Amino acid sequence: MSFEKTLFAFVIVLALTLNVGFVLGDMTRIDHHDVYELALAIVVSLIATVMKFGDRSLLGSTMLATSLVADVQLIAAAVVWGTATIGGTEITTHDTVTVVSLAAGAMVANIVSVVLLVIETASLRR
Amino acid sequence: MSIEVRRTQAGLFLLLRRLRAPLIVLIVVYAVAVFGFTLVPGVDPDGRPWRMSFLHAFYFVSFLGTTIGLGEIPYPFSDAQRLWAVASIYATVVAWLYSIGSMLSTLQDPLFRRIMLENRFANAVRGIREPFVVLCGYDDAGRLVARELTEEGIGVVIVDRDPARVESVEIDRLPAAVPALQANAVVPATLLSAGVTHPACIATLALTGDDATNLSVSLNAKILAPQRPVICVAHHHEHQAAMARVGTEHLINPHDTFAERLAQSILKPSLHVIYESLTTQTSTPMATPPAFPRGRWLICGYGRFGRTVHRHLEQIGIVVTVVDEQNVSDKGTDYVSGNMIDATTLRRARLGEAAGIVICTPNDTTNLAVAMLARELNPSLFRVVRLSNRRNTPLFRALEADIITLSGYIVAAEVLRIIRAPQLSYFLRLARHQDERWTAQLLERMRERIGAEIAETWSITIDEASAPAFAAARARGQRVTVGELMRAPDNRELCLGAVPLLLQREDGKSLLPADDEELLLGDRLLLCGREITRGRLRWSLSDQRVLRYLTGSPQRA
Repeated sequence: MSFEKTLFAFVIVLALTLNVGFVLGDMTRIDHHDVYELALAIVVSLIATVMKFGDRSLLGSTMLATSLVADVQLIAAAVVWGTATIGGTEITTHDTVTVVSLAAGAMVANIVSVVLLVIETASLRR
Repeated sequence: MSIEVRRTQAGLFLLLRRLRAPLIVLIVVYAVAVFGFTLVPGVDPDGRPWRMSFLHAFYFVSFLGTTIGLGEIPYPFSDAQRLWAVASIYATVVAWLYSIGSMLSTLQDPLFRRIMLENRFANAVRGIREPFVVLCGYDDAGRLVARELTEEGIGVVIVDRDPARVESVEIDRLPAAVPALQANAVVPATLLSAGVTHPACIATLALTGDDATNLSVSLNAKILAPQRPVICVAHHHEHQAAMARVGTEHLINPHDTFAERLAQSILKPSLHVIYESLTTQTSTPMATPPAFPRGRWLICGYGRFGRTVHRHLEQIGIVVTVVDEQNVSDKGTDYVSGNMIDATTLRRARLGEAAGIVICTPNDTTNLAVAMLARELNPSLFRVVRLSNRRNTPLFRALEADIITLSGYIVAAEVLRIIRAPQLSYFLRLARHQDERWTAQLLERMRERIGAEIAETWSITIDEASAPAFAAARARGQRVTVGELMRAPDNRELCLGAVPLLLQREDGKSLLPADDEELLLGDRLLLCGREITRGRLRWSLSDQRVLRYLTGSPQRA
């Protein structure tokens, strides 16, 4: 039990939970999805990426890759949301669905991350 | 290859690992600042309350941390926003300084720089396309070899353990880019990244001052690339057997080489001139042979060098008296022990009646002092002085000794000979066993053909690729002799300025092939001659019309 490992697992799981929290709700309605939750998901996902830097094991490299995928998807969602509301216009249903589905893609990557984390922990036990 | 890639990644991973903490700090500080700006209330020009969107907040924080400028955007800030902006400025500036500082210190980190240097070296080696040699040890010998080879267009890759010597590679301003790495050549990874397995590598040279290092370099190079020749220097006889066992093609013992040459030169003075003109780039066949006396010789200093010289001189029947600080335990050796820089010791060794002296202690100052003293006591003495440190060359030149010997020069000359013309070593070995009449005749021929010019030595392989005209002539069933080939391509009445030294073919060899010797496909011919002759000879061998003219066949153009 080390503080560093706890923090690492905490960040990775938090990235997933925030992501799930954002995606949950009606895909077509923007008021079911909170902008702060998305922003937090991006920040936590970025931190998770940086924490995986420099790990040369095979699992570590794969985790870095999934984490980068999550970053790309979430940032794409944020950019779509930002461009859809330029000049204070209301976001269309199509754009809402795009934002949420991009975030859902990131969620899959984050799930893989957590699974890998569990595998790594389990193999360490042995 | 895989080792090099791993090293590259190691550098990248090291950088990323060191940057982990600063990057996380940066992300957190940015996130807090951006979140704050989206939450802090502001007012628009119409007095209505508004909050920044994420886009505006991120935009503002981005230039806040790096430049602190551009003003309050899009509307003038409220007091609450200004308060948050002040907090954000300090936080983001500190975060930036911290992360940039960490990055710079990582880049300055000795380990990181070491990895970067190794990578640059390995990349430079991998990019080499021309043939090159891997040179381990950049001392006197290495320096000379590197200069001569780069001037000839052969690449050199240098590995040395001493950082000062590696740095001197840049100062020496070699005519070509020479990758150099400060590393222990004994480590196999060093040899690999230096390119011993590179397809363009033609040889590995183990020229460090330490026999054990040379031995393990030779061994490693032989295991990693069994087909590539290894040239290795040995200072102790004990190591030579082991070096030969690991498969080293060329062993150079500078003491042996010198002692043997000295003994041979005493027997055959012309051989000395031939040797010098064929192996050095400064002497010509016209040089007068130094008058090596055959009387009694003195050897001052009975170390490894002295012992070797002693043995070789005795072998040719020269009477030797040894002078050393210690008593000499070898049986039957005439010796005088005592301080060498003392006239009484030298007189006891009967310096006045001696013909020559070899001064070969490992200490340059002692050698200089003894040489000066010896000249005073017997001005007609033939003096051979050993020089250990190249920096002292001017002092030794001023001494006007008959022969100055520096191990580094001897090694370099041998190495260059082996690389330039592998046949030359063989030829010189054969020449050593000939008598003075033979050597005098050869010298006469060289003087006739080459004159007062620097003699180049080169080998030609007579095959389809390098002698297409000859191959065509053979295909027609025509015979070509050495003498016909040695005629000038523009006037066959004249001789080319070259002497054929050795003709080698599968079923034998012919030392100094006669003019009527017939040339066959697959022959290897060693020649020495003027530099210009080399090109003219290539012309004769590749242009059918020229070859027809030389052989005087009727269908000439």
